[in-house]
Amino acid sequence: MALAEFLAELDELLAAAQSGFDTAADAAALEAARIDFLGAKSGRLKAAQKGLGTVAGADKPAAGKRFNEVKQAIEAAFEAAQARLASGAAQADVEAFDPTLPGTRPRRGHVHPLTQTMEDLKEIMGRLGFTVAEGPEIEDPWHNFEALNIPESHPARDPLENFYLATAQRTGGPWLLRSQTSTVQIRVMERTPPPVRIISLGRVYRPDTADATHYPMFHQIEGLLVDRHVTMADLKSVLRLFASSFLGGDVHIRFRPSFFPFTEPSVEVDMRWNDRWIEMGGAGMVDPHVLQAVGYDPEQVSGFAFGLGVERVCARRHNVTDIREFYKNDVRFLHQF
Amino acid sequence: MLVSWSWLSDYVRLDMPVEEVERRLMMAGLNHESTARAGDDVVIDFEVTSNRADCLGHLGIAREIATLWGREICLPKADPCPGSHPVAVLARVTVECPDLCPRYTARVVRGVRVGPSPAWLAARLQAVGVATINNIVDITNYVLLECGQPLHAFDLGRLRGGAIVVRRPRAGEQLEAIDHRVYELNEAMCIIADAERPVGIGGVMGGAETEVSAATTDVLLEAAQFDPLAIRGAARALNLHSPSSYRFERGLDPHGVDWASRRACELILELAGGELAAGVLDVGTPPVAREPIVLRFAQLKRILGIEVPADEVEQILVALGHRRRERTGERIEVTPPTWRRDLTREIDLIEEVARIHGYEQIPEDALVPMARSARTPADRVLGEVRATLTAAGFDEALTLSVVEEPVSEAFSPWSDLPALRTQMPILRRATLLRRSLVPSLLAVRRTNEALSNPTIELFEIASAYLPSSEGPPREERLVGLTTGGDFLALKGVVEELVARLNPAARVTVGDYRHALFAPGRAVQLHLDGETLGYLGEVSVEARKAFDLRGATTVAELRFGLLAAAAQLIRPFVPLADKPAIQRDINLELAESVRWAQLAAVVEEVCGPKLEALDYLETYRDRQRLGADRKSLVFRLTLRDPQATLTGAEADALRDRVVAVCADRLGAKLRLG
Repeated sequence: MALAEFLAELDELLAAAQSGFDTAADAAALEAARIDFLGAKSGRLKAAQKGLGTVAGADKPAAGKRFNEVKQAIEAAFEAAQARLASGAAQADVEAFDPTLPGTRPRRGHVHPLTQTMEDLKEIMGRLGFTVAEGPEIEDPWHNFEALNIPESHPARDPLENFYLATAQRTGGPWLLRSQTSTVQIRVMERTPPPVRIISLGRVYRPDTADATHYPMFHQIEGLLVDRHVTMADLKSVLRLFASSFLGGDVHIRFRPSFFPFTEPSVEVDMRWNDRWIEMGGAGMVDPHVLQAVGYDPEQVSGFAFGLGVERVCARRHNVTDIREFYKNDVRFLHQF
Repeated sequence: MLVSWSWLSDYVRLDMPVEEVERRLMMAGLNHESTARAGDDVVIDFEVTSNRADCLGHLGIAREIATLWGREICLPKADPCPGSHPVAVLARVTVECPDLCPRYTARVVRGVRVGPSPAWLAARLQAVGVATINNIVDITNYVLLECGQPLHAFDLGRLRGGAIVVRRPRAGEQLEAIDHRVYELNEAMCIIADAERPVGIGGVMGGAETEVSAATTDVLLEAAQFDPLAIRGAARALNLHSPSSYRFERGLDPHGVDWASRRACELILELAGGELAAGVLDVGTPPVAREPIVLRFAQLKRILGIEVPADEVEQILVALGHRRRERTGERIEVTPPTWRRDLTREIDLIEEVARIHGYEQIPEDALVPMARSARTPADRVLGEVRATLTAAGFDEALTLSVVEEPVSEAFSPWSDLPALRTQMPILRRATLLRRSLVPSLLAVRRTNEALSNPTIELFEIASAYLPSSEGPPREERLVGLTTGGDFLALKGVVEELVARLNPAARVTVGDYRHALFAPGRAVQLHLDGETLGYLGEVSVEARKAFDLRGATTVAELRFGLLAAAAQLIRPFVPLADKPAIQRDINLELAESVRWAQLAAVVEEVCGPKLEALDYLETYRDRQRLGADRKSLVFRLTLRDPQATLTGAEADALRDRVVAVCADRLGAKLRLG
C-alpha cells in the first residue's frame, strides 16, 4: 500500500472514531462504538494496523509514527466520551431523585396498651423486690373464696356475682372463673414458707354489664408481702414508692377504711397527684384467717396485700374514656400506643 | 344511706360544719357520696360497707360522730307505758322454723287513730326519700331509719285467729304484698302467716290484706330476727329488695329487736294514741351475751407500725360501745357492743383503733428491707416473643376468653372434648371458654375489615381452656397469629420467632387437614419433635363463615413449648476464620419430591462442612420440564473450620450432592 493511501485511511478512521464516540448517547452506544473502533479482535484500528504491514519498508517509520498518533487520539476520544457520559448520568440522577418523598418505613407492630401498663407496673414492683407469680384462671372455691375468708354464706359467692362453670360440678362446689388474682397469693403461700413477696396479675371475671367503665373481664394486679414484722407502715411506704415511680414526682398516699374479707384492717388507697386525691385500689393487712388457711402462724408472721385494676390505670394514663376500646382491637387504636 | 342532719342532731350535738363531718366520717370508714339540701335540712349520702349494718340507721352514724368528736350519745328512752290488758289474750305467736327466724316478738296497741303523720315526722321521712303512708306505717319506717331494725305493723283485726305463725310456705301458696304484686312463695322462704294464710314474707315485705289502713284500730307490731341467708335467698328469688331485706341480709343487732319494738310503741302511743297491751309475745332464743375480746397493746405496733397509747385505745373502744372488762399494762379485755356483729377478734379491734386514731398517723416512709427479685423466665420469653412479633409487623390484641357456640366449633385442635361452659353468659351470648385463640382473632380481623383498615396483622398471647375428662381443666397458654400474608410469609415469622428464642431449635412440619384451612395449605408444626402448633391458609368456606373478605393465614403455637426451648443466655460459638465457598445447584425433580427431603440429603452428604443451605427458587415449565416436574435452585455455603476449603473440594461436594440426589430422589442436574 502506498504511504499516502495509508495515511488517508488513518485520517478517515480518526475522524469516524471521533464522531462515533462524540455522538454516543449512552453507555451501550459508546460500548458498541468502542468495539467497532478499538475491539481487540476485529476493531477497525486493528484492521488499520494490518495495513501498516503492507506499507513499503522505507515508508514504515513514518507510517508507524502516524499510526501511534492516531491510536492515542482515538483512545483519548473514547476516554473523553466515557467521562462525558459518566458526568451526564450523575447529573441526570441528581435531577430525577426527590429526597422529599416519604421514606420506606418498615411496618412495626405495637404491644397492647394494657400489656404496656402491666409491664410497667411489674417492672416497678420488681425493683421493689416483688417477683411475678401466676396461677390458673379457672379456680376452685377453696382458692377463690374459702381460703380468702369468704365463707359459703357470703354474698360474694352468689351465683349471680360469679361466672361458675356449668360443666365441672365437683366436691367443694363448682369451679369458676376467678373473680380476683388473690387466688394466686393463696397458691403461692400454700407451697412457699414465708417470707413471700410476690405480685400476681392477669385476667379476672365479674358479671358486670359492659359499659364505658366496666367489662365482664378485666385485669388485676396484686401485691403480697408476708414476713415477720410487716406493718401497715410498710404497706403505705411501698405504695408510695410504687405510685411515685409510676407517676413521677413525690406522690403521697392516703388510706380510707374499707372492707374486704381477706384483709383486716382493710383500706381504700388514694394517691395525691396533681393536687387531687385519686383512687388507686384496695389494700390491707392479710387477715389472720387467710394466713391460717395457708398454714402460716399469724402470731409469727404478718403481711400486707394490695390490688388495683389495670384497665382503670391504663385508661387514665392514656385518656381512654371507654374501656371497651381495649377489647375491640381496632388496629388504628393499637397503633396509637 | 341517706342521713338527715336535723334528725342526727337528736342523738348527738352537731355544732361542726357539715363538710367536717363528711370528711372525718369518710376517713373513719363511711365514704361520702353526696350532700343535698332539703328545705332547712341537709341530707348526706354515706356509702356503708357490707360489714357495717350498724350504720344503716341514724343512731349508728350518730355513734360514729360521737366517738370521733368525743361527745355523748343521746338515746331515746323507748319506754312506752303499757295498759293492763295482757297481750297473750289478744294474739298468739308460733314459730315453726326457728332456723329461719330465731326470734319473733309482737306487741299489740289497741284503739289507735290512723291518720297522717305530724309534719316533723313526715318531713324527716321525705328528706331521706321515704314516702309517707299513715302514722303507723311511717312510725315503723321511722324507727327502721333510726336504729336499723325493720319492723312491721299488722292490722290485728285482719289477722285470722289473732295468730302469727312463722313457717315455711305450703305448696302453691302465694301472697299479694303491700306493693300489690302477687308473689309465688317457695319452700326455702320464711313467711309470716295467720291461722289460715300467708300475711307477709318474713323480713322482706308485708301482705296487702293485713296492712294498716284508715279502718285499722288494733295494731300488732312485729319485731323479729331473720336468718340473713334466708332473707337474701327470698329477696333474690322474688327479685324483691326492700329496705328491710337489705338490712336483714347484713345481720342486725339481736338486742335491737326489743328496743325497736318499744320505741315504735312509744311513738304510736304518742302520735296515734291507743293502749299498749301489757307484755310482749317473745318466741325464740334470746340473744346470747357477746364473748369478750382481748387486745394486746403490742399487737397494735406489730400490725399498724405505730404505737397508740393504752389510754387512747381504751377511750376509743369504750366510745364505740365496748364494755371494758379488764386492763393491764399489756392488754385490755372488752365486751364488744351487740350492734357490732363484725367484731369478734383481736384483729377487728386493731382495725377499730386504727380507723378512729386515724390512718393518717401511719407514716409513709418506713424502711422496707430489700429483697431479691428477677424477671421470671416465662416473662422474659414473653417479652422476646412480643419484641419479635412486633418487629415483624404484628400488633398485639387482647380478646375475651369466651366465645359463642358456632365460633367455638370452628377450630379446636387442642381438645376434642366439649368446651367448658359458664352458667351465665359473660358477654352477649358468649358462654364457652375458648379452646383456641384463632376464632377470636378471626373475629377481630372482621372488625378491622369492617373499619377498612388496610393492614391487619395481629397476635395474641392468652390461655385456652382445655377440658379434661378427669381433674381440673388445663390452661394452655397459646400464641395466636393472623396475617394477610400467605403461608410462607407466616411460616417465616414462626421460624424467625423460634430462631430468636433458640437458634439451634428446629421447626419441622407435618401435613394437617382441617375444615378451617385450604386443602394442602395447612401444617402441624413441630419443634424438636414435639407439637408446637398449627399453621395454614384459611379456606374460602371458613372465610365466608367468619364473614371475611380478604385472604388470611393463621397460626397458633404453644407458648409453653417455646418457653421450654428458649435459650435466652447463649454460649459463645467460636467463629471460623477460614473463608466459605458457595455453590449454586439447579436440580430437576418430580413434583412429589419436597424440599425437606432434598434438604435432608444435602445435609447428610455435606456433613459439618455445610454452613448454610439456602432455598433460592422453584421453576416450573410444562413445555421444557414436562408435567409433574419442577426445578429447584438452591445454594450451598460450605466451610471447613479447620482448613481453607479449595474450589476443587467444593466442586467435589457439589457433585456428590447431585449424584446422591439423582440416586435417591431421581434428580437431574439442570445446566444453564
